[in-house]
Amino acid sequence: MAEEIKCACDSTNVALFSCSGASNVGQLSNQLAIELTEKGVGKMMCAVGIGGQVSGLLRSAEGCDRIIAIDGCPLNCTKKALELSGLEVDRHILVTDLGISKNKDLRVKGPELADTLEKVSEILAN
Amino acid sequence: MKIEVLGSGCAKCNKVKEIVEKVVNEAGIDAEIIKVEDINKILDYGVMVTPGLVVDGDVKFAGKIPSEDKVREWLTQ
Repeated sequence: MAEEIKCACDSTNVALFSCSGASNVGQLSNQLAIELTEKGVGKMMCAVGIGGQVSGLLRSAEGCDRIIAIDGCPLNCTKKALELSGLEVDRHILVTDLGISKNKDLRVKGPELADTLEKVSEILAN
Repeated sequence: MKIEVLGSGCAKCNKVKEIVEKVVNEAGIDAEIIKVEDINKILDYGVMVTPGLVVDGDVKFAGKIPSEDKVREWLTQ
């Protein structure tokens, strides 16, 4: 069956940016953005495109009503990249604040994702 | 001038096309206005939310309906 084409002109646009960095928490931030997009919390957008000053991505972020930034670690690269481009972050999620220590493992563990997603969903609901 | 209105055809996208056509006619701008409805072509511009407006390859805005004044500014600057 052909996939239904959904218009991208939503009444409320929420942008989700993750650092997607080279660590367990960076990759977890990426998975969280995917899961939150699939749950309809917002739309995942390309954070690296903001750093790269890609006009379409900058204009898309500017056109959103709210911006949620998900950083893996306290380097806060996503939040900083957005702010350097003049974009205000409405909600900031820091994965290491959710009880996960940063390491160099790039594979996201299923239980960690489920547990963190639950915590993030609670934070965003309040 | 090549003007592309990005959006898959809802009321908001059509409204932007209307505004663009009005400004182009009023200001006597020599322009080709194209409605881009293919979501993959829209994504090629990096645009994640529509409606959007691209003028000569440069994305001017995305996600909201711009004011007529703003469109006039983009098309006449």
